[in-house]
Amino acid sequence: MNDRLITIVLLVGLAFSLGVFAVQAGSWHLPGNQQGYEPIQPIAFSHRLHAGEMQLGCVYCHSAAEVSRHAGIPPASTCMNCHRYVSAPLGVLRAEDDLAKKENRKPRSIVSPEIQKIYAALGLDDQLARDPQKNLAPIAWTRVYRLPDFVYFNHSAHVNVGVACQQCHGPVETMDRVKHVSDLTMGWCVNCHRTANAAGVATKPVHPSTDCSTCHY
Amino acid sequence: MAQRKAQHYWRSWEEGPGASEFVQISRDEFAESLDRPTEQFSRRSFLKAAGFTATVTALAAGCSHAPVEKAIPYLIQPEEIVPGVSYFYATTCGGCSAACGVLAKNRDGRPIKLEGNPEHPLSRGGLCVVGQASLLNLYDSHRLKGPLREGQESTWAEADAHIRAQLETIRASRGAVRVLSGTVSSPTLRAQIQTFLASFRDARHIVYDALSSSAIADAHQATHGERRVPHFRFDKADVIVSFDADFLGTWISPVEFTRDYASGRRLDTLPPRMSHHTQVESRLSLTGAKADQRIRVSPAENAAWIESLAACLAKTAGAALPFALNGEVGPHNSIIEQLARRLWQARGRCLVVCGSQEPRAQILVNLINHLLGNYGTTLDWNAPSQQKAGNDCELEALSEELDRGRVAALFLLHVNPVYELPNGPAFRAALGRVPLVVNFADRWEETSSLSRFLCPDHNPLESWGDAEAVRGVYGLCQPAIRPLGNTRSVLESFAAWSGDTRSAYELVRAHWRENIFPHAGNAGEFDAFWDRAVETGFVSTAVQATNAKPFSFSALENLPKISTPAGLSMVLYPKVAMLDGRFAENPWLQELPDPISKVAWDNYACFSPAAAQRLGVQEGDVVRLETTTEGGATTSTELPAFLQPGQHDQVVAVALGYGRQGTERFANAGPKWLFARSGVGADGRVGKNAAPFVTLRDGYLQYVRGGIRVTSTGRRSALASTQGHHSLTMPKDLPLVGGQHRDIVRETTLPALLAGDFKAAPSPAKINGLWPTDHPYTGHRWAMAIDLTACTGCSGCVVACQAENNIPVVGKDEVLRHREMHWMRIDRYYAGEDEVDVVHQPMLCQQCDNAPCETVCPVIATVHSAEGLNQQIYNRCVGTRYCANNCPYKTRRFNWFNYMREDALQNLALNPDVTVRSRGIMEKCSFCVQRIEAARIEARRSDKLIADGQIQTACQQSCPAQAIVFGDLNDPSSRISKMVQGPRRFAVLEEFNFRPAVNYLAVVRNRDASGKSPSEDRSNG
Repeated sequence: MNDRLITIVLLVGLAFSLGVFAVQAGSWHLPGNQQGYEPIQPIAFSHRLHAGEMQLGCVYCHSAAEVSRHAGIPPASTCMNCHRYVSAPLGVLRAEDDLAKKENRKPRSIVSPEIQKIYAALGLDDQLARDPQKNLAPIAWTRVYRLPDFVYFNHSAHVNVGVACQQCHGPVETMDRVKHVSDLTMGWCVNCHRTANAAGVATKPVHPSTDCSTCHY
Repeated sequence: MAQRKAQHYWRSWEEGPGASEFVQISRDEFAESLDRPTEQFSRRSFLKAAGFTATVTALAAGCSHAPVEKAIPYLIQPEEIVPGVSYFYATTCGGCSAACGVLAKNRDGRPIKLEGNPEHPLSRGGLCVVGQASLLNLYDSHRLKGPLREGQESTWAEADAHIRAQLETIRASRGAVRVLSGTVSSPTLRAQIQTFLASFRDARHIVYDALSSSAIADAHQATHGERRVPHFRFDKADVIVSFDADFLGTWISPVEFTRDYASGRRLDTLPPRMSHHTQVESRLSLTGAKADQRIRVSPAENAAWIESLAACLAKTAGAALPFALNGEVGPHNSIIEQLARRLWQARGRCLVVCGSQEPRAQILVNLINHLLGNYGTTLDWNAPSQQKAGNDCELEALSEELDRGRVAALFLLHVNPVYELPNGPAFRAALGRVPLVVNFADRWEETSSLSRFLCPDHNPLESWGDAEAVRGVYGLCQPAIRPLGNTRSVLESFAAWSGDTRSAYELVRAHWRENIFPHAGNAGEFDAFWDRAVETGFVSTAVQATNAKPFSFSALENLPKISTPAGLSMVLYPKVAMLDGRFAENPWLQELPDPISKVAWDNYACFSPAAAQRLGVQEGDVVRLETTTEGGATTSTELPAFLQPGQHDQVVAVALGYGRQGTERFANAGPKWLFARSGVGADGRVGKNAAPFVTLRDGYLQYVRGGIRVTSTGRRSALASTQGHHSLTMPKDLPLVGGQHRDIVRETTLPALLAGDFKAAPSPAKINGLWPTDHPYTGHRWAMAIDLTACTGCSGCVVACQAENNIPVVGKDEVLRHREMHWMRIDRYYAGEDEVDVVHQPMLCQQCDNAPCETVCPVIATVHSAEGLNQQIYNRCVGTRYCANNCPYKTRRFNWFNYMREDALQNLALNPDVTVRSRGIMEKCSFCVQRIEAARIEARRSDKLIADGQIQTACQQSCPAQAIVFGDLNDPSSRISKMVQGPRRFAVLEEFNFRPAVNYLAVVRNRDASGKSPSEDRSNG
């Protein structure tokens, strides 16, 4: 009797463990594989809006990608190129303009809370002038794509031969919040280098090396 | 002409003529015995451990998430900066007063590497060990963070207020103000000091150099009527005779001189040009190691040799001297006559230099150069050197003033007199009698701890400044980083105390506008001139031709007496890394093995093997060196003995610059583990200070001290000597191709080379290789050539490599265990017995085509690239060390620990393009693959091919002699392809068919074909 109970308990436990394992196994990665990582950022910046709807080119903000190993995160001053004038969604601004016209007054300045964060970082006042009372506070984004220290990856080498950003970073122009799409494993890198060697990048012949020291030194 | 019989090369006395256990030690991979208690590891324990490991791995894998990392961009990005891209700023090296031009490689706002500035007219791209390592001084957490008053933290406003108030009192009471400094190479600072001092009645700027060349300047005062150190032009000299001047190592401006010297010994030009170099010296210096003819003399004989050479030349020239010189040096007159003949034949194309501090010797050397017509050709009188402006006579006067308490204010600028002067203790006591002592030192050291005010200067990489190395050549310093602490440029300090609130930038700019721009000879705007100077890092201006006064023979009438040291003499010398000890807290410099002795982390008493035998001293014995002054006071020190072949038997040589306060920090420089031993001496410091043996006699700092008594203390001390580590041996019992024993290094003589008799490489023989020829090299094929004739062994490449490739410092204890990590080492071989020849051979990974390391790696962590590189993949390596064991060149280094930097701040100097290796990983020279890849990416971006010479490895870039060439062997027009064609090319151990990518060019000595220099004929005097 007692033996039976123990057997049942053990079997239930085993079934539960297997169940949990099965659920976990779906999202199981090797150490270092961050596929699916989608951290919350300090500012809810939407790539879907900027790169998708507005069709801004990737290197407009990530300009270092053409010359440096890092693509770079744009400085707040780049945001201000547009957000000096665009302080809230267009609909909201238009509505306020219409309302102001109707009420025959100057439109009130409307600043969306997310864009306000840029102004705050730059220590700007309501008139978007530098307020010496306020501290400058750089925006600490959470890094999504990260390679181990023993891998050397150079953005410019890839961007300049015509590798599309989306090839590694996925359809960023559809993402509100950036998600780690590819797995960034070595096999994934090497496969692409091999394919490119045979077929070129967008039919342009390139000859990426598959020597170890291309990336590891 | 008969082929010269193969030399017998050896590395240390024990291995060579005094053979003993050395050979065994050098063959063993581990210095220590391996019989540690080993526990029984049973099958059960194995299973337990394996099970546990598997579980933990699975858990770790399942739960692991990379740490959340922040990416913080600029708020407003400076227009010229792109993160991840390196920028080079041209500036001037602050390592010593030679003021070489450097390019500071800046990455993300901080300098990470110094490179020689190839455009600079003097250094021309070379940089020495001190210059390379000076980067680390910037990131030294022991630097003072701000001004101190009476040892308490203060503010600049407070310090200024106090200093100015006190200066007002001194001005009113007409007190004496003294600025004591080393050579100030900055013209702006010199002017600023003069402006500051002008407001006092009794004010003087006193300059001395701890490594003084005062006698050269004074001798020119006597013979040419002006106190100048001429600019020595070794490039124009076809015959060079040096009396104890280590001009390739430490004397005046070694980088420039090395470059000049190498350009006078170019064998790839047609016809080949090769100067003849005779070195007369008492210890074996780096320069002596390179000489075609080396003559060992005792310091006492040195002057006699100069005198008889002068007499001999005077006779040849028919010059009427006011008195007869002694033309006798006993049995060696034939050598003197030969020297004189050789010099006379090269009149106006030769150069005689002397490192002695005896004014008599220097005046006679001037006479020799005058008789040979060298002034105006190899001695540039119009554009004299500004690199050694010290005047020891004034130092004596100052000591007297200090003793009598006459000095009211003393400003100490980058000098450490308590440490480096012979009367240090007296100086210390005298400082107490000065009411206002202001020190600009950037750290606590012997002298600064006694100063009332510490006004730390910026690091040279943090500030604006300038330097005039040779008249008419002005280097500009520009900041490469924002000051790390609340320090202040000396320029600004002196300006502030003169009531001038301008910044260093404004001061330098104003000085250049008024004093340099008018002479620059371009009619443009000053702004354009300035911008150009900032861009290139220097300007050259026309110098006014001053009519050199005729040689004053009256100076010879009452030549100062020479003091001949009796008995055993101590010769105090600077090492290439440590110099006078100014950067003793720099771990890269401390860990660098001296190019001659191969000892790191210590100074020691060098004896010639014969002297050691006579005195009954063995290597490693701690000996007490003692001498008594005329007053009866005794100076003594205890140092381990070191056997130095090639040194005179009446000499004990001791390096200066050790035993510095602050080196206590290196007690735990290495990894912390159970068997770690302290890396410092019993007194807590690295080495012993030998400065008390320096004498200040008749107005000259003398580095030779007679009457040394040597007694044994009975103790022994281990020297961190790397000469037996990683050494190459040619096994005698292996059958070689052709059956001929070939040496690791090859050498020949100039006549043999010109006659076409010499071929360094073995004649091609059929080799039945084990390896298939599976390396087609269809694209590039990287290779290196090292010209051993040009290489002086200065070791600049070693530190350049260390800086570029994030090579850790392991500390003395680990060096003793053969675990130094330098990817590049300078192997030093001796040949001969009493009169030794020296060959230096830079040894780095040879990037073999048939690499023995590659075949034994069980995890394929070291593999061959399609371009001929032997790649070491750190993330794949599991640390079996099979590869190091199988490497015939012993160039692989294993990380026994995570070698942390002793100072965490120094991690800022790490190169972000090179992986920092962790424990358990093998590493080695990568041919600076990061530079190859950077060049490739750049070439593809701009749609060009990689040009020949575009890729420079770190070692090549730094080499003052340009001995190293890197390039593509598949490009027939490349420099390297041409270099490997000649008869001098050989590869080390090429008989074994490793097919290394590093080629060496054999040493050529300018001797007669028998290879003998005349000095070998004479008995040891």
